[in-house]
Amino acid sequence: MKPISRRSFLAGLTAGAMAAAIGPANTTEASVRTEKVATLIDLERCNGCVDREVPACVSACRDVNAGLFPKPDKSKIKDYWPQKTHEDWSNKTHLIDRLTPYNWIFVQKVTVSANGHDKDIYIPRRCMHCDNPPCSKLCPFGTNKRSPEGVVYIDPTFCFGGAKCRTVCPWSVPQRQAGVGIYTYLDPLPVGGGVMYKCNLCLNRIREGKVPACIDSCPQKAMAFGSREAIIQEAKRRAAQYNGHIYGLTEHGGTGTLYVSSVDFKKIDHAIVSQSSETKKAMRMHNPENKLNETSWLVKTALIAPVAGAVAAFAATISKKEEKDGR
Amino acid sequence: MDDRILRHPLRVRVNHWLIALSGIMLIFSGFGEMPMYKRYNVVKIPGLAWSEDFHIMLYIHYIAAIVFMAAVFFHIVYHLRRREFSLLPKRGDLKEGIHIIKAILTGGPEPQHDKYLAEQRIAYAAFGVTILGLIATGLIKVYKNLSGVYINPDILFWVTNLHTLLTMVFVFLLFAHLAAFLIKANRPLFPSMFTGTVRSDYALSRHGKWIQDMKVKTQ
Repeated sequence: MKPISRRSFLAGLTAGAMAAAIGPANTTEASVRTEKVATLIDLERCNGCVDREVPACVSACRDVNAGLFPKPDKSKIKDYWPQKTHEDWSNKTHLIDRLTPYNWIFVQKVTVSANGHDKDIYIPRRCMHCDNPPCSKLCPFGTNKRSPEGVVYIDPTFCFGGAKCRTVCPWSVPQRQAGVGIYTYLDPLPVGGGVMYKCNLCLNRIREGKVPACIDSCPQKAMAFGSREAIIQEAKRRAAQYNGHIYGLTEHGGTGTLYVSSVDFKKIDHAIVSQSSETKKAMRMHNPENKLNETSWLVKTALIAPVAGAVAAFAATISKKEEKDGR
Repeated sequence: MDDRILRHPLRVRVNHWLIALSGIMLIFSGFGEMPMYKRYNVVKIPGLAWSEDFHIMLYIHYIAAIVFMAAVFFHIVYHLRRREFSLLPKRGDLKEGIHIIKAILTGGPEPQHDKYLAEQRIAYAAFGVTILGLIATGLIKVYKNLSGVYINPDILFWVTNLHTLLTMVFVFLLFAHLAAFLIKANRPLFPSMFTGTVRSDYALSRHGKWIQDMKVKTQ
């Protein structure tokens, strides 16, 4: 890869220049604040940090975001009446092999058959930061937000922890912690369930001109950050180089997290499903439809409905022969 | 005078019921957009297992909203064009409303009413403001669901919660509207929303101002 000035990378000049710039993280330069950002995860480079106890990206994420992790009031952790369950991860903060309110990125390992022999693939998994995110757009409290940079994040202040965002997310990314958040003030009313937590792409760091901690920390330089256009160009360049494939370009209507691999993602997804002990909960690499996009025709109809009603009324009253009433 | 008097023409009745039925569907699907039905076991009610599906609820909400908004704007333009303003509040309605409620509760004589009671005119204004607020916030919420549309998340936060708050007001007003029929004197008005007519003796005895007004207009 040709070296290029970091200013070009961050200021987002030409797509080609930016694509080439994707590489070492810059932590001091002015950030790309006004344009959409994206990340690229190169599965050809990620080795899962097998030589470390905790993958570097996971470790960095936990360190940087430790202050944002839930601090529940144990006395408020109760079953979600009338259900007999609740979600409490506060005793499982050590888990690093899945997403939890205390672990916003994990590395998924699958073995695929490629070129006649088995190949281990390590996949850093976190929020996909979708272009049209149902979790954010369908949040009933407006607390699951999307920044102008395209980062999907949850404002914990008014989150009730209803977990709808997790239900509508094809990857079930947001995770719930009970005993924390605004619903605890309504105790003992049986409403709410906690607060939802997930990757916020280190939005504060981005706005400070830094890159997300997971990307900054990767010893393999397997992750890259930049403007969406630059990342897409770079993903295509690498896919061509590997004679490989891109995940996230069109999946779910496009996502802000792109993956590139020499192995077809259908094959990877098949491996994820077949090798998962909990198939239903496996974080897949499938091609889910974005159901928000399916209803765009209804949205457009709704937007013109008031006009249609007004026009119909105008037509109904244009005739001089009026309906008799008892006014 | 005929035995029955036309109170609500067919178009008005159809419009009213379109608003009412779509409004009820909006409440049902709106609450269904909250993560409630699974938690509170609505999904276990026979025939309602599908109610946990947020996307089905979204479809219902959109379709009901289309009918609701079209009917509301039909109502506004239709009556504006016909210059029919008998449901709009008048000066002194609040005072008269209190007087009427006192009379109903104590069994005392009610004053003669216009086509609508003072309470109905006040309730109409409350419904109107609430509904217009729901439509305005709802349209923003709908618009933001289009791919590629970006609205400031802080604005969306307020819009979303205002929509929810107005829904609560709407539900309260709906119950108040229905509770009016607990009062015996109001009951003849209920079938008139289906048949369109009320008995002339009822109209004469309770809505004297309305009858007088009609006589003046037909002279």
